[in-house]
Parts: sequence; C-alpha cells; structure tokens
Amino acid sequence: MRQATTGAFASRDIPRIYWALGGLILIGMLSAPQFRTLSNLANIVEQSATLAVLALGQAFVIAGGMIDLSVGQLVGLITVVACMMFEAYPGMDAAVILGCLALAALVGLVNGELLNRLKMSPLILTFGMLSVLQGVIFMLTDRSVGQVAPSIAFLSNGRLLGVPVSVILVVAVAAAAYYALQRSIFGWHLLAMGNSAESARKAGLNLFSLTRVAFLVSGLCAGIAGLLVAGRLGTGFPNAGNGLELDAIVAVVLGGAPLKGGRVSVAGIIGAVLFLGVLNNLLNLLQVPAFTQIVVKGLIVIIAILADRPGKAAQAA
Amino acid sequence: MRTDASTRSLAMRLPSLDKAAVWIVLFALVLLAGLASDAFLKLNYLTNLVRQAAPVGIVAVGVTFVMLLRGVDLSVGAIVSMSAVVCAIVMNGLADNLWLGAAAAIACGAAIGLANGLLIAYGKVSSFILTLAMSIVVYGLVQMGTGGTARGIVSPGFREVLNGRLGGALPVLVICLLLAVALGIFLQSRTHFGRSVYLIGANPEAARIAGLNVKRVTVVAYVVSGLFAGLGGLALLARTGVSGTNPGAGMEFDVLAAVVLGGTTFAGGRGGVGGTFAGIMVLVIALNLANVSGLPFAAQLTIKGIIIIVASAAHSWIGSRGGARSQH
Repeated sequence: MRQATTGAFASRDIPRIYWALGGLILIGMLSAPQFRTLSNLANIVEQSATLAVLALGQAFVIAGGMIDLSVGQLVGLITVVACMMFEAYPGMDAAVILGCLALAALVGLVNGELLNRLKMSPLILTFGMLSVLQGVIFMLTDRSVGQVAPSIAFLSNGRLLGVPVSVILVVAVAAAAYYALQRSIFGWHLLAMGNSAESARKAGLNLFSLTRVAFLVSGLCAGIAGLLVAGRLGTGFPNAGNGLELDAIVAVVLGGAPLKGGRVSVAGIIGAVLFLGVLNNLLNLLQVPAFTQIVVKGLIVIIAILADRPGKAAQAA
Repeated sequence: MRTDASTRSLAMRLPSLDKAAVWIVLFALVLLAGLASDAFLKLNYLTNLVRQAAPVGIVAVGVTFVMLLRGVDLSVGAIVSMSAVVCAIVMNGLADNLWLGAAAAIACGAAIGLANGLLIAYGKVSSFILTLAMSIVVYGLVQMGTGGTARGIVSPGFREVLNGRLGGALPVLVICLLLAVALGIFLQSRTHFGRSVYLIGANPEAARIAGLNVKRVTVVAYVVSGLFAGLGGLALLARTGVSGTNPGAGMEFDVLAAVVLGGTTFAGGRGGVGGTFAGIMVLVIALNLANVSGLPFAAQLTIKGIIIIVASAAHSWIGSRGGARSQH
C-alpha cells in the first residue's frame, strides 16, 4: 500500500537523462579513442563523486520545495577546516573526520532552524549563509593551508579490490538517499510538503521537523563532499567550493526533479552527474578551447532541460 | 499561509503594511547609520551611496517584472558583463561610436532576454535553471569575445557625462537610476503589460482563462529584464571605465536579494519596483556600514550575509503582521 503511494511520486521508468548520457557515451566512443579506456572511464566516475554526494544532499531540500545555496561554501569551509585540523592533530583522523561532519551537519541544522523561526525564503536565507560562510573561510585563511591525512587521501583516490573507494562511498550515499526519499515514510512526507506545504500542514505533518532534517542532510552531504575535495586537492584551498551549489542544483534538476519540489529521482541525479562528468571529459579529450567549452556546456544544459521537461506522464503525477 | 478569517480581515485593514515593510527596514537602517557616523546624513555622502547602487539598481528594476510573474532571471549578471564588453569594443575609443556602442549593448541585453523569454514561455522549463544555463552561455561568449583580457576603450565623453554631477551636486548616475525606477513604476502601474504581469503572477491559470496572452507577457517581461540589464551594464562601464572580462559576475545574486527584500517574493503577483528600489538601498547601506566600520574584508562578507538574513527576516515578520504569505 505504502509502496504503491510512493510510486506515484517516484517515477518508475528509466529517467530520461540516461538517454542523453547514452548518446553522449556513444559520441565519445566514436570520436575519441582515449575515451573508452578503462582508466579514463574510472577517472570520470571518480571525478564525479564530489558532485554526486552534494547533489544527493541538495535533493532532500529540493524535494521539499526549498533550495540550499550555502552548500558550495560549506564544502570550502570543511575542506579548509579539515586540512587545518589534520595538520594540527596528526594521527587523530577519526576524531577530525567526525568533527568535520558534525560541523557541516550543524551548519545545515542552523539553516533549517533559522528557516523555521524566521519564516523567510530559503533562497535568501541560504544566500545570506553563503556570504557568512565565505567570510568565515577567509577569516580562517586566505591561502591554501594544512594537509590531508592518509585516510582521507585514500577515501578520495584509493582503490579497494580495483574499485575506487569514492565510488563505493557514492553508491552507499545514493542507496541511503534512495531509501530515505523514495521508499520511506519520511520521504513520502517530504515530497508531500514539496507538492503543497499548505496541504501537508493541514494533513498534520510537522513541516518544521521535515525542514530541519532536509537541511541537516544537505549540510552533512556537503561535509562528506568537503572531505572528498580535501582528499583530491591534498590541501585546504579556500575557494574549493565556489559555484558548486549551482552545479548541484543543475544535477538535481537535470535528474528530473522540478525546483518547486514534490518529485525527485535518485537514479536520475546519478545519471545527471555522470552526464555532466562525461561531457566535461569529452570536451577536454576533443581539445575544445576552454571558453568554447563553457558555451557548449551551457547550451547542452539548455537542450537537456528542454528535452527533459515534464511531459504528460509527469503532469499526471 | 495564513488564510484564516482573523488574519484576512487584519490584512484588509492594513493593506499597506506589507508594502511598507521594506521602507521601515530602510528607515531603521538609515537611522542606525546616522547614529554610527555623522558623515552619513550629509547630502554628498548619500548621493554617492545611491550612485554606487545605480548599476545593480537599474538591473533590479527589470528583474522585478520577471519575479512578479513567478519567474527568476539569473542571467542578468552575465548580460551586464556582455553589455559592458560589447559597448567598450564597439565604441573603440571613438566619439563617433558612442551611440552605436550604447545601442549595441542594449540590443544584446534585449536579445538575450528575448531568448530567455521564448524558451521559458514556449519551452515550459524552469526559469531558474534556464536562466542559469543562459548565464553560463553568455559568460562563455563574452570570454570568447575578449579572449580573456579586457578589450575595447570607451568613447571620450561617455564617462565624463555619466560620472558628472548635475549642478555640481546630483550625480548623473543617480538621475539614471531614478529614471529607470520611474520607468519601471510607469510600466507596472500605467500599462496593460504591467497590469497583466500582476494578474498572471497572482494566478496564471485564471489569467489565461480570462483571455490574457500569458506567453506574450512572459516573453516581454524577460525582454524588459534583459533590456534593463543591458542598461545596467552601461552604468557599470561608466563607473569603472574598463570593461574587464566579467564585470557583472555574481551581480544576479545581489539583484535577487534586493528584489526579494523589496517584497517581490518568489510566489509572484506581489511587490513592485518601488519596493525593489528600497531593497537596493537597504543592501547598499548595509554594505557601506560594514565597510565604514573598518572591518577586514572577510568579516564584511560575514556581516553582509547576516544583514541580508536579518533584514529579510525583519521584512517578512513585519509583512506577516499585514497578512503577507510566507514564501515557501
């Protein structure tokens, strides 16, 4: 019974972004010989890990009809804080990692709590928070600082039985997100809030608690993404997260979730992140000049959302 | 959100409180600034503040129409960059090209706005994502055009006139901003287009059934937004004198913050250009306060964020007394 009802929200067929992804991979196979090498494909997947985790966190907020613009700078903050702490407390990896995740979750919780108490637009609140976090980062440092612990470097760059560890992490986060958003009562309630906050409130749902949890998850995912970025860079770069929030939002929307909320697809988000990753990789392999790449990426996002816009099936849902 | 009878009757008795909220915040901020520094209330200082706000303010007037329609335009920052760069390149340092450069810049803005409007009205896609992608495209085009370095030279006379002060007191850019605001208020309250924007924003389905051409009004609104962004680019070029490669970077967020502070929420159908002007002034004064306090740049960023949150919260708190909806 419950599954049947959640099914009404969660699209059961293959998200359309996979057609675009398939087409792009086909083009890559035909046009660039280096593209189909296993190491290149593994590289694409590894590079996509940060965005995947960030977009999955953003999905919780967007599913509820809200938005979180602060996650990019939160990634930057966690990257900087983690590297400073790893350097200051060598050998205490677990404590530092837990501390960083707790800090990120706390920032998310503050977002949610402020939103509940101040009753303001989430876009403006998190935009303000973006600026606050940027200030905090630059108060800590204006240049790259610290270093990463081997454990975090392994998380970002290591392999376990030949599989990139970051990919295993993404699969775990995606599975958790899929369960929470598309298979649990919580997800059902969150999507109901995204569909109509007014109806959800009248039906007796606790919107405050849903908002709080959605932003907490978004913050936590930004924390994980921040650690991944730290591992990749090897140092705490204060601008590491600039603009990532917009990439995450684009990935969620390309994955088939409307910004007004009420519908979300974890499989779609993963497809969209891979699509963006393959696109990036292909443009580099084909040696497209950097500025032209920007134009092409923008145009492809426009074409993709035009092709992926809600059709009859989605409108019925 | 609150639709129970008691709040509704309160809203009817106090219809203006919602609109007045941003002005109350602005007044409080001016008072605070005046207490913090004697220099603040001097005419020269105030006109200078408004002058600084001119580019962002002109852009925000146009974006207000899009937001009244429940849309959003994130491409304006990139359009500002494009306008400034195109203008400088076309002018090429020659006095003869002055009008040609200005016209080319405004035409570019309107063209991007037209593309936004057509894709949103007929493609039925999210304006947030579409205009975000458009901003990436335009940014890339500008970078291709400049090759990554500042190009073009403004015509002699362009900066001198726009940066001058009328009668030695009133900066020309302030007059430009006030003209843009006046034009916006005229458009929103005296034209068929303006009234349609409010009706469609309040209830698109009802407006469509009532026979309004929703698609055409949508296209026009995005053209207006692009046009004002083009004008904003000219104002920015006049202030800085050099086009740079991406002078409008991030401006869309300041604009968005100002429009929402001014009472035009994402729900559409409410607010207007007057509130947007007050919203811009709130932002500029807040930033100026952070600046004057002599704090390091990093602390200023943090304070800017806190002020945006507090001002917006205060605004929605005052507004909710007047029966405004919370913007979820």
